[in-house]
Amino acid sequence: MLALLFILFAGLGIGCALAVVAQRNPLYSAISLIGVFISLACLYVMLAAPFIAAVQVIVYAGAIMVLVVFVIMLLNVEQEERGRTRLKFLVPTAVALAAILIAEVAFVLVSVQEFRVTPTNAASDIGVTHSIGSQLFTRYLLPFEITSILLLMAIVGAMTLARRGGLLPANARVIPGAQQLALSPDDLTLVETNSTDEAARLLGVDHRDESA
Amino acid sequence: MEPQLSWYLALSAILFTIGVTGVIIKRNIIAMFMCIELMLNAVNLTFVAFASFFQDVTGQLFVFIVMTVAAAEAAVGLGIIIAIFRNRETLDVDEASILKL
Repeated sequence: MLALLFILFAGLGIGCALAVVAQRNPLYSAISLIGVFISLACLYVMLAAPFIAAVQVIVYAGAIMVLVVFVIMLLNVEQEERGRTRLKFLVPTAVALAAILIAEVAFVLVSVQEFRVTPTNAASDIGVTHSIGSQLFTRYLLPFEITSILLLMAIVGAMTLARRGGLLPANARVIPGAQQLALSPDDLTLVETNSTDEAARLLGVDHRDESA
Repeated sequence: MEPQLSWYLALSAILFTIGVTGVIIKRNIIAMFMCIELMLNAVNLTFVAFASFFQDVTGQLFVFIVMTVAAAEAAVGLGIIIAIFRNRETLDVDEASILKL
């Protein structure tokens, strides 16, 4: 029974993972990746790790994939164009390497069968929230704190990266052809214009003289 | 028949290999990003399988930490993707081969 469930979820996971690579539209890849996460969460439940399964669904399938889908929709990515790559030889190389690795895995799978660890997941408290929490806040407190610092750095880094350029410098008056200009050095109110002529009229200067 | 530890390890290796293949053959930077997430999840499956079969909660704690790192990676990586797209108007990694923005 458990073996059937394993085969079901493993097949679902591998199929969705192949779809992630095979799809050309990134949005379809993202939805397939959510399928991988859900099937892995089911496997975690089979492995007596309900907390990790819940976190997998909430954090991965929820938060991270929402972020990815949000960026895909924000950037309005069209499908990949076919056959424009300069690294064509990499595709058969990748497939060959993958075949070799899968063959190695199959060999290990066959040869390691006599190494049997019997799971005693009958009456175990491994994986419930209580045991994870007590270990996380006692023995593994330092990695936990380092993780919080990492998250803080990620927040600051993401804000710095995604920010648009700063304010205009104080001596800037007009940027020819720009969409925004500062009325005067003292008054940094940004005014949107559509043309250099309009910008020059707002500033009261003749930009043709300046360009001469 | 119960699922053995080696089954989970084999599944994890297959998923990791699919992720590596995707990173190599994909050109869309967001698709490569998702393949990296796939590789992280394959490693997580290994951790949880060992934690369950050896009755040790440490593996699950590391999965928790790996998930946090993945969340941080998603935030920073998508910020970088947006910055690249704003400067180059494309998501093709071959177009972004110069490190300068």
